[in-house]
Amino acid sequence: MEPEYAFTAEELARIAEIRRRYPTARAALMPVLWMAQEKFGWLSREVIELVAQTLSLNPAEVYGVATFYTMYHTQACGRYVLDLCTCLSCQVLGAEDLLRHLEERLGVRDGQTTPDGLFTVRHTECLGACGSGPVLMINNRRYVHRLSQERLDQLIEELRQGRMPEFASIPLPERPWEQEASSDS
Amino acid sequence: MPKVYIDDDVFEFEGRPKILEFCLQHGIELPYFCYHPALSIPANCRQCLVEVGQLVLNRETGQPELDAEGKVVVRFFPKLMPSCATEITDGMVVRTHRSSALVRRAQRENLEFILLNHPLDCPICDQAGECPLQELTYKFGPDSSRFEFVKVHKPKRIPLGPRVVLDAERCINCTRCVRFTEEISRSRQLTIIQRGDKNYPFTAPGMSFDDPYSMNTIDICPVGALTSADFRFRARAWEMASTPSICTGCARGCSIYIWTRHNRVERFTPRHNPLVNDYWMCDEGRLSYRRLNENRLDGPHVREFEGLRAASWEESLRRAAHLLRSAPPEQIAVLASASLSLEDLYVIRRLAFEVLGTPHLDFLRHEDPSFEDAFLRLRDRTPNRTGCELVGISPGPDGLPVQQWPQALRDGRLRLVLVFGDDPLGTGAWPVPEAGEWIVASSHWTETASRAQVLLALCTHAEATGCFVNQQGVLQRVRPAKASKGMDRTLVPEMGKSRLDHHATPFDRWWGHEHYFDCRPGWELAQGLMRELGSPVDYTGPEAVFAELAQAIPALRGLSYAAIGLQGVRLDLHPQPVA
Repeated sequence: MEPEYAFTAEELARIAEIRRRYPTARAALMPVLWMAQEKFGWLSREVIELVAQTLSLNPAEVYGVATFYTMYHTQACGRYVLDLCTCLSCQVLGAEDLLRHLEERLGVRDGQTTPDGLFTVRHTECLGACGSGPVLMINNRRYVHRLSQERLDQLIEELRQGRMPEFASIPLPERPWEQEASSDS
Repeated sequence: MPKVYIDDDVFEFEGRPKILEFCLQHGIELPYFCYHPALSIPANCRQCLVEVGQLVLNRETGQPELDAEGKVVVRFFPKLMPSCATEITDGMVVRTHRSSALVRRAQRENLEFILLNHPLDCPICDQAGECPLQELTYKFGPDSSRFEFVKVHKPKRIPLGPRVVLDAERCINCTRCVRFTEEISRSRQLTIIQRGDKNYPFTAPGMSFDDPYSMNTIDICPVGALTSADFRFRARAWEMASTPSICTGCARGCSIYIWTRHNRVERFTPRHNPLVNDYWMCDEGRLSYRRLNENRLDGPHVREFEGLRAASWEESLRRAAHLLRSAPPEQIAVLASASLSLEDLYVIRRLAFEVLGTPHLDFLRHEDPSFEDAFLRLRDRTPNRTGCELVGISPGPDGLPVQQWPQALRDGRLRLVLVFGDDPLGTGAWPVPEAGEWIVASSHWTETASRAQVLLALCTHAEATGCFVNQQGVLQRVRPAKASKGMDRTLVPEMGKSRLDHHATPFDRWWGHEHYFDCRPGWELAQGLMRELGSPVDYTGPEAVFAELAQAIPALRGLSYAAIGLQGVRLDLHPQPVA
């Protein structure tokens, strides 16, 4: 079991580099946890202990930080973690229905992972893209905007085939009142 | 001298005290949860908020400015300040709940917030009766809550470690326990996990909160979130009596309270003593209370046809005296114990040297290097070794030291051993000898006790009055916390009394009186033997013995029970001779 949970020399060098950017080991904890999550998928007990040992921190301290932030996974999660925004704007645009659709389609409840280990469905607080809601975030990274049930079905098929959706740049909506105001002056 | 104005009073202050500490020192009550005098100040509970301002001084005259009505002008901070974290400055004006409706409202509504997700299960909560949350809600809290929705539920009955049980719903996240493991015990085993209304203290996954000082978090937890796995559901706080005493688990001698219910010892809790243990004690010491209830010897016994039978005090003392007279003095050895009080040791020494005339007097050293740590625990597992050395429990001229006694018993140089309060056979200090006769005074059924010709029942430190000197030379006195058979708890001076002790009668259903043992303190047993041997001494009590001790021992000169008080005194163990 031991060699499975270790950083490579290259990663340790990167950690040392991160460590140099902060005054204390505690401050360097978040980027290192991020690195560990990228590498191991989620922050299991062994990973927490590895991070603590690497930074000479206490496992309890590391665990406290890891559980504070929702983007750190302290439970085993699927290959794709789907964070569906259910905050106000998205909710108004039907995010609750989309969440139910997602649950029914994948056969799991909010917060659970599909038995094939592919998808984890979670509802999340505001993703900061209210203008293009409903919004979903894949693996803490890629946003999918303007969701509908059809778009969701399509997305799941794509992901099943291992295709991550392309980055989509969403331009700010036009703000006619500003243009009017500027033309007045 | 700089001045601070608190409500309608003026105080002078020195240094840079915090408002809360300053108020508590001056008898001004302020409510708080997260503040603890021995820990850092996170100011996270927000219960101690006060209005803080500064007098406006006239720039020319330097005098306080007055408004149109002739009142001083105060420039208040725009918001309430946490008094635990705010330093007092010259000319500061503090308004507590006594003079400020705003502060009263802040206290009330803060408590409403703290109680939002609190289960309010005081009737089944171990902390009830000694719970700051309960008390402060009673004093400062709202009469009801406006929160009428489903409360947030969190894990309950989680064994955090072998000795501490967590109820996360009761937790108010004051972080006292986390700070304790970070700052005092330094095991850093606890942290606050999750966030917002879901957070609670916990260990890292797979880790156990097995800190040797873990149970101190139970004491400092201001709610019932951390409770003792051992004490849970055993007694309500208000049914117990507490008596100030010390722990006898090692040579530190931590100051404690002994808690009893129906005269049965239920728990130890640490008692604040800056000379010895501050606010803390180790878990092992705390759980050593069990010894006071278990395997106790009840009444004196004498050997008859190879068995021990219960006997009267008169008969057993007479038998013991007969045995002692029948052996030549140089064949008698007297083993005292470093777990006995100074008073006991002194009278035992008189018995050995003055009445029996034997030079063989000594005590056993019980050392356990694995017990020692860098905080409170010491390798010397006896509470009064310094006291033994002070009183002079050591072989007289031509006396054999204790290490040679087993051999001397075997080859016949010793015939009779008088043991006070130790168990040389059971603790493995001595091999079990084939020869020799034993008179044993013991509080428990031990290996040594079972070999006695005459067995005298000895008090534990919880049933007696006496003094102990710890390794640092701090002299402390214990008070009786548990009555012996025939005593009435309400009539024993200095004993803590509970409502049950005062008011329960044998006709009540909750009456209990099965935890009384027929036993006597060491000094009284030694005095009884001296009388039987024809040397009448008559100490009226331990205080009279101590008065004589204070005359005889230079380090104790001028001391009395009153001077020792609750905290004890640090002795000068090597006083310089007066030139």
